[in-house]
Amino acid sequence: MEVLEAVLLGVPVTLLVTVAALALGAVLAVPLAAARRSRVVPLRWLGRVVIDVVRGIPPVVWLFLIFFGLGRDLIRLEPIEAGIIGLGVISAGYLAEIYRGGLSAVHAGQWEAASALGMGGTDTLVRVVAPQAFRVSLPAVTTYAISLLKDSTIVSAIGVSEILFRATQSARSTGAGLTPFFVAAAVYILLSAPLAWLSRGLDARLRARVAR
Amino acid sequence: MSAVAQEPAVVLDRIHKQFGDLVVVRDVSLTVARGEVVAIIGPSGSGKSTLLRCINLLERADSGRVEVVGRAVEPGAGVAGRDLAALRRSVGMVFQSFNLFPHMTVLRNVSLPQERVLGRSRAEADARSRQLLERVGLAAKADTYPSRCSGGQQQRVAIARALALDPEVMLFDEPTSALDPELGLEVLAVMRELAADGMTMVVVTHEIHFAADVADRVVVMADGAVLEEGTPEQVLRSPSTERARRFLSAVVDR
Amino acid sequence: MTGLLTSWGEWLPRLLEGLVTSVELTAASLLLGIPLGLVLALLSSSRTRAVRWAAIALVEIGRGTPALVMLQFVYYGLPSAGLSLTAFVSAVAALSLTTAGYTSEILRGGLQAVPAGETEAAGALGMSHRDTLRFVVVPQGVRIALPSLMGFAILIFQATSLTFTISVVELLSQAYSIGAATFRYLDVLVLAGLLYLAVTIPAGLLTNRTERRLSRHL
Repeated sequence: MEVLEAVLLGVPVTLLVTVAALALGAVLAVPLAAARRSRVVPLRWLGRVVIDVVRGIPPVVWLFLIFFGLGRDLIRLEPIEAGIIGLGVISAGYLAEIYRGGLSAVHAGQWEAASALGMGGTDTLVRVVAPQAFRVSLPAVTTYAISLLKDSTIVSAIGVSEILFRATQSARSTGAGLTPFFVAAAVYILLSAPLAWLSRGLDARLRARVAR
Repeated sequence: MSAVAQEPAVVLDRIHKQFGDLVVVRDVSLTVARGEVVAIIGPSGSGKSTLLRCINLLERADSGRVEVVGRAVEPGAGVAGRDLAALRRSVGMVFQSFNLFPHMTVLRNVSLPQERVLGRSRAEADARSRQLLERVGLAAKADTYPSRCSGGQQQRVAIARALALDPEVMLFDEPTSALDPELGLEVLAVMRELAADGMTMVVVTHEIHFAADVADRVVVMADGAVLEEGTPEQVLRSPSTERARRFLSAVVDR
Repeated sequence: MTGLLTSWGEWLPRLLEGLVTSVELTAASLLLGIPLGLVLALLSSSRTRAVRWAAIALVEIGRGTPALVMLQFVYYGLPSAGLSLTAFVSAVAALSLTTAGYTSEILRGGLQAVPAGETEAAGALGMSHRDTLRFVVVPQGVRIALPSLMGFAILIFQATSLTFTISVVELLSQAYSIGAATFRYLDVLVLAGLLYLAVTIPAGLLTNRTERRLSRHL
């Protein structure tokens, strides 16, 4: 019971880190995706390099870079802040690619039809293409959110007391052995199940609506 | 001719097959003599492909008896693995979508089943394969991959692959339906030759001309039952049922 | 700037040593995990229900458990169940289980992408179920899955950085201890990041190329 209590104390922290990082990433991903699809070649390359670098360095290395690298010398950061920023930056890289996939899934005929109707580029993007791209991307975004929930365990490496951190601590201090890990695994499965369920439901509904 | 040669190649006895509540084949009986070419025609959804697939047990009939060159099974009562293997070995099948193995060369496509099913050595199998590829006019394609062959060429390879197992009966499931008319002709030419050589063939087809010229017997199916059966002249020129007449005029007027 | 480069030159041998360990970990996990994943993929469509459920359960545990939890579990948890493994062996065991879980799903997708008509044709040719799997379904399924498997290999290479937490002396661990000794965390971590990129970016390009090449004969 003690073990369960200890592990459950980590749940709000895990959820906070996941949700905040996802929100940060969702916003940062917009300019990145736009750069990737820009007509300006250097901008397109810059977008690509940023995305490849963000995704090519292991998440925990990012956390260390931000927490120990920047945090020591330049700006004082709390572990949880560093964790959210690190996971947020990584999420931006992954979400930008998901957005891009969604944008290119919208049929080119939609752009043509809108411009034939006399709509401007921005108008077409905001009113015609983006809503469709959003629907196409949503299942991929929820899948990513589930994996982010699990990846958020790595913030324990810089001392954020989320689920795994507390489980490991309780395993070491109470000598409870395997139990804390089983409890932690069960909690992750319980947390991701509703998200998985939601994503399957969304997928089915959006597929029915965006009929092609 | 001896008595054994007179034994029919295929006997279907009161075959019944349904998917859920939908009856696809309704108590159909059909006998195919050795060396006979039977064409099965009919509108889509008439159950003709399902009936054909009941012969080599790709579909298991719910009831009825299937007999191929003297070996009988009752699919509804379960089929022993050994019986299934023996039956599949004596029956070759050609599909509408060719179904060649895309990761193997044309030669490997034809040789592999010989090695695995008949236990031939690779050299024996390859020799037989080349001989058959020559026969369907594709000796030059032996070392290419299926994706580099036209649909008509792929279908001829599929015919060679089936023939390589020395089957006693060949089943064709709409072998030209996925092909441009011109490419279909080369496949039909191979089939004509096969028929002339005395192969027992059951052909589900939309090619009325092929049925008229090559088949010894034409069977018209609709709604899971046999409507008409007889020589091509009888069935195609003067069908006796109204349903068959409507179908035939729709096909011929095309 | 020259100061930084000199330091980098000093640190590089140790970091490269760590990188070699990271690559070894990756190779061992893939060599054990992918065959296990293939077996699980085949068993998860077994006709025997108990076998199927056991396989699916293993896959879900392998995929559902975060890699870091798996690592901590094997290294800190298992000793209390009487099984003590060295850090490196624990890391391989944990990452192999994760690999098996993910790759079995990737491979299952590949196997299912093999057209049913080909299985049917093999059956009509009299080939046994086992032969059909061995010669027709598995070779093509693996080939279809190859780009995704390569993509996953890059992720598991990145995940080796997590073994730092169970004191495997890999790249990140080397960088951290240099940082702790010199207090120049940012400088050494940037170099470590560049070394990770030196593997992941070419590997990513290779993956894309493989994807384009393989679409030819399928």
